[in-house]
Amino acid sequence: MLRILDRLEEILIATLIGAATLLIFVAVVHRYASGVPFLYPFTHRIHLSWAQELCIYMFVWMAKFGAAYGVRTGIHVGVDVVVNQLGDTLRRKVVLFSLACGALFTFVVGTMGAKFVIALMGTDQVSPDLELPSWLVYACIPLGSYLMCFRFLQVALSFWRTGHLPHHDETRVEGIELEPPPEAVR
Amino acid sequence: MTALFIFGLLIVLMLTGMPISIALGLTVLTFLYTMTQVPIEAVALKLFTGIENFEIMAIPFFILAGNFLTHGGVAKRMINFATSMVGHWYGGLGLAGVVACALFAAISGSSPATVVAIGSIVLPAMVRQGFPKRFGAGVITTSGALGILIPPSIVMVIFAVATGGSIATDPEGKRVLSASVGQLFMAGVVPGILLASMLGMTTFYRAWKNNYPRMPKATWSQRVRAFRESVWGLLLIVIVLGGIYAGLFTPTEAAAMSAVYAFVVAVFVYRDMTLRDVPRVLLGSANMSAMILYIVTNAVLFSFLMTHEQIPQQMTNWVTSSGLTWIEFLLFVNLLLLVAGNVMEPSSIVLITAPILFPVAVKLGVHPVHLGILMTVNMEVGLCHPPVGLNLYVASGIARMGITELTIAVWPWLVTMLVFLAMVTYVPEMSLWLPRLLGMI
Repeated sequence: MLRILDRLEEILIATLIGAATLLIFVAVVHRYASGVPFLYPFTHRIHLSWAQELCIYMFVWMAKFGAAYGVRTGIHVGVDVVVNQLGDTLRRKVVLFSLACGALFTFVVGTMGAKFVIALMGTDQVSPDLELPSWLVYACIPLGSYLMCFRFLQVALSFWRTGHLPHHDETRVEGIELEPPPEAVR
Repeated sequence: MTALFIFGLLIVLMLTGMPISIALGLTVLTFLYTMTQVPIEAVALKLFTGIENFEIMAIPFFILAGNFLTHGGVAKRMINFATSMVGHWYGGLGLAGVVACALFAAISGSSPATVVAIGSIVLPAMVRQGFPKRFGAGVITTSGALGILIPPSIVMVIFAVATGGSIATDPEGKRVLSASVGQLFMAGVVPGILLASMLGMTTFYRAWKNNYPRMPKATWSQRVRAFRESVWGLLLIVIVLGGIYAGLFTPTEAAAMSAVYAFVVAVFVYRDMTLRDVPRVLLGSANMSAMILYIVTNAVLFSFLMTHEQIPQQMTNWVTSSGLTWIEFLLFVNLLLLVAGNVMEPSSIVLITAPILFPVAVKLGVHPVHLGILMTVNMEVGLCHPPVGLNLYVASGIARMGITELTIAVWPWLVTMLVFLAMVTYVPEMSLWLPRLLGMI
């Protein structure tokens, strides 16, 4: 069950960033193709004025769900200079406190967002170009934030049990294989 | 008083090690619930509209473009090209390392990745040729940071976004617009080339003094071949800068075009990756972008709070009434950013400090573009700065040197960077000359 959620999250954000890139690429190509008289009969029937708006919505959705994914991969970095100087028991408490703060914040934001979206559902507000219902567009705030809250709790639980935090490795480069550290000289 | 409370709370929360985005958001929430009557609904809206801005979308596109080309194969081509051009001078491979770092960093956009990609190839080669390891580690650590300054640069996009909505007036009281992404990119060209040359000169001088090995001079046909192999990657910079300058694309469109271009080059021209690797690159880029966009969202909330409490205005009034000149003010800015650069990553620093520093600097007569470049250079120095610069850590892993030893190794180049920082700070023309020549400012 959880694995399905994990996969869905990954597929959603990877698809959104890829699709948004293609969309803007096509919109730019279309703009220049429209300037060519020969292609005009084909291009003038297609309108891509909504591309920019759709791209923004795709990225906002990607940002909300990607932020939740980021909790799982440990990419959200903080200032850890002080925490790492602390003794083990104290460090454990501080880390759990900071994870709890993360869960609290995302929960509050999710609830605020949910209220906002429910209020919007009563209206017939639509987005300017695409004319999508506004509540649908804004639904990413409660959904993404609640998911992120869940991820913080998940990470906190596994830290409490095993003492491990997910850690994002910024230094991995494809096609580069670092030699394993040489054996210590005895 | 309010300002003290806000910043005090923010710093305490950040020191617990929680993500910076969460610390920013919690500070805002605490303040709103306890001390003001701002309707909470306005905040919920800000959470969405904070990044509802087409300019910000350049960030994920540039990250994606960079990730497609952050590959060992691309690094090798850059190194071959750099070696064939400058390898026969004093400093040989070291000098080639500086050039390769500058080129690779510009297209990959990530400093730590540059240090790993170039460092893990160049460093062992240098040691084999008889360079001391310290020399190589010093070169790679500092040159790896060049990417932030050479466009396309994500930090510059963030600066443009962070100062976008601010209301600032110059000494005469006229309204000053913030710097655009295009202006900042163009302004980064001259300082970027200059810093790369200065790091190169330090390398050259030290190699000449100690008589380190040089490479055999490459023939012109070798040079042409190396250039033809690396040119596909380098064209990315041309597409972005040329496209924006010629008015073909907006910066965000240029970013999207460069992402598609990078995909084509990586998969079909260089064939470093196959189509099956693409989803992984997409996921990694989405992960990184979402992290930055999440900080942006919360930083927008935070600066909304500051504007609401009129903190930038109070700061501006306080600075102007205390009779500080722009020279003293920029010295203070540099010190502040260098300290911050030690504990936080560049995008967070710019997002938090730029909205406050911008109106003050403009009031004292500093050009917005100049401030942007100055902050970018500071971020660069902060990465290589002991005790906890990120590049130092990454390089210490590759070179297998302790941080203390690496700090000693880095100092000639670090001093070069600090001299350069002073030049950028007090010679505004260095940043303003090219965009002014091109009629962009």
